[in-house]
Amino acid sequence: MIVPFNHVLILAGLLFLMGIFCVVARRSLIMILLGVEVMLNAAAILLVGASLRWQNLDGQAIVLFVFAIAAAEVSVGLALIVWAYRRTGSINPENYNILK
Amino acid sequence: MITNWLSEPSLTAAILATLLPFAAFILIMVFTRKYPRLSAGLSIAAVGISLISALFLLVRHWHLQTPLEYTGRWLLSGDVAVPFGYLLDQTSLLMLSVVATISFLVQVYSLGYMAGDAGFSRYYACMSLFAWAMMSMTLSPTMLQLYIFWELVGLASYLLIGFWYEKFSATEAGKKAFVMTRFGDVAFFLGLLLVLVHLGNLNVLEMNGPQVATRMSSTYITIAALLIFGGIIGKSAQFPLLTWLPDAMEGPTPVSALLHSATMVAAGVYLFGRLFPFFSQSAAAMAIFLMIGTVSMLLASTMAMVSRDIKQVWAYSTISQLGFMIMGLAAGSYFAGMFHLTTHAGFKALLFLCAGVFIHSFESNDMFDIGRQGGRRLKIPMACTIIAAAALAGLPPLSGFFSKEVILGALAELNNPLWLAAGLLGAFLTAYYTFRLIFIILFPRQSGAESESGHGHDHGGYWVMGWPLIVLAAITVLLGFFQGALEAFFSGQQGIPVAGAGHHGWLPFAAIGLALGGVLLAWLEFGRQGADQVGFVEKIAPLNHLFAQRWYIDRFYRRFMDVFIYGVVSNLFTRNDKKVIDGGLDGLSQATVETGRLVSLLHRGMVQYRLLTIFVVLVFLGLYFFI
Repeated sequence: MIVPFNHVLILAGLLFLMGIFCVVARRSLIMILLGVEVMLNAAAILLVGASLRWQNLDGQAIVLFVFAIAAAEVSVGLALIVWAYRRTGSINPENYNILK
Repeated sequence: MITNWLSEPSLTAAILATLLPFAAFILIMVFTRKYPRLSAGLSIAAVGISLISALFLLVRHWHLQTPLEYTGRWLLSGDVAVPFGYLLDQTSLLMLSVVATISFLVQVYSLGYMAGDAGFSRYYACMSLFAWAMMSMTLSPTMLQLYIFWELVGLASYLLIGFWYEKFSATEAGKKAFVMTRFGDVAFFLGLLLVLVHLGNLNVLEMNGPQVATRMSSTYITIAALLIFGGIIGKSAQFPLLTWLPDAMEGPTPVSALLHSATMVAAGVYLFGRLFPFFSQSAAAMAIFLMIGTVSMLLASTMAMVSRDIKQVWAYSTISQLGFMIMGLAAGSYFAGMFHLTTHAGFKALLFLCAGVFIHSFESNDMFDIGRQGGRRLKIPMACTIIAAAALAGLPPLSGFFSKEVILGALAELNNPLWLAAGLLGAFLTAYYTFRLIFIILFPRQSGAESESGHGHDHGGYWVMGWPLIVLAAITVLLGFFQGALEAFFSGQQGIPVAGAGHHGWLPFAAIGLALGGVLLAWLEFGRQGADQVGFVEKIAPLNHLFAQRWYIDRFYRRFMDVFIYGVVSNLFTRNDKKVIDGGLDGLSQATVETGRLVSLLHRGMVQYRLLTIFVVLVFLGLYFFI
């Protein structure tokens, strides 16, 4: 393993924080979904790094599952967003507060 | 104390003497404010019974050997018990009688003086309060109780000095008296705390006892004595806190009479007498007391030499006579101070009550004015004033002569002849300014208006006001001859070091000579035919100015207030108020508002804020569980 594990940890952490920022700060449903994807990828990077660090393939196997779930999640999520946009004419999360 | 108080006649009398005026005060304030005559009757009856009780106690315990102490527990907290009760010994009995006598006479006199005043009931209520506070103070067995009543005396005098509260100067004078005496009282209280820390309690007899020296080092005794003396300086208007007393003239004249003779200012000297054995354990403190007494005595005498206001002259003379008493006490003669306190109470009350008649009749405080309007036509007050003034000047055979003689004798005992010289100078000045006033009233220059000035006589209250004067004049004339009896009375008191009564045969003659010299000087300048009625002091402009401005003491206080209190202290406090207190409160409310705004975001139904909250909470949970 050429890349030190610490660097992997830092990269994954930064990515995760960026994902959080994207989810919390961007006023768009699509960007929120994107942020969630970024966070998932950060976790995936960490899993890959960890599996290399301990020479154990379980981590890489889990990452494959994560990809599959992420793809499914994006497709369902985007479909929901499109439907919601058709209903309300807006993808700004501030307008989705009728449950208040 | 409570269980068998009926079987102890002394205790019954003491309770009657002290509690009845208080009962009168409450009754008047609560029920009879609408009925002035009833109020006056209540008050006078209460103080009359007090007087009878006091005299009964005095006669019954004339040969008292050991002090009687009746105490009950008032407060109990842990192992600290605060006793409350009565202490009957020579000092307190004599003072009680003096206070009761003067209060009674002044209240009777006030029937005439205050007749028709809108606040008649309030006046008598305050008088009762005053009498109660002062009499309870004299009988206090502990310094704590004494301090409580000491402050009540201050409160009552504040109420009475500012009695005509619609007059701005009166409220100002009341305030000044209150604040200045309080200034001294702070020191007094600190001194008491110091004693309490070392001694464990504040019992008067214990403080006066010999065991104090074993429990407190001499340095602490000196410090405590000086601090307690601060209270005396404030109350008895000694240097440097003497300027409140001349301003206290704003109250009704009978109040001044009471204030100057038996209650307020006498409380200071009484405290000195009360703790005399304690004070006399510190020679250094006694030397300072002697100095303060001397300075006050001389300063006040010089002020009295140029004043035109009749009440003010007597006020200055009070300060100077109190200085005399303190000199006598500080010189080590307990009897001298207490004897002069007693005689002074008589003739000073008389002087003020007479001045009250003049002021009442002529509606003027100015002595030249009174003389011009025919002050000498009022036979009784004029005669009484002359008697009292002669006593004040120390002319035989009046009471003042005897007591002054004792003080001068005590001063002569001291090693330094300076004190005796100062005392004799004071006697000379006293005679001078007293008879200056007498001659000015007696021999007015332009007496044009005298013919129709007899209107003072047809005042209804003239005789009501007259007979207390006669009683007091009789006391003034006769009291001096009881010197021996009083001396024997006091000799029974324990713990009072007997002053070596050395005999100075020349002293009475010197004193009489100087007093007569003062009278003669006053006669030359004010009395004789063709005198221009301008004193030698008034001819020297700077000196006149200095004396009339009270040695600039007031001016100094004013500047001190402006520069230090308002400039520095109050400025700092204002800043603190604005920056720290206001700023802190503002910041606090600002923070609350901001927090509220943040919290309200959660309730907007906005999904992202909730997500943020979830993340934050998760981070904290992670920190909590994994670190």
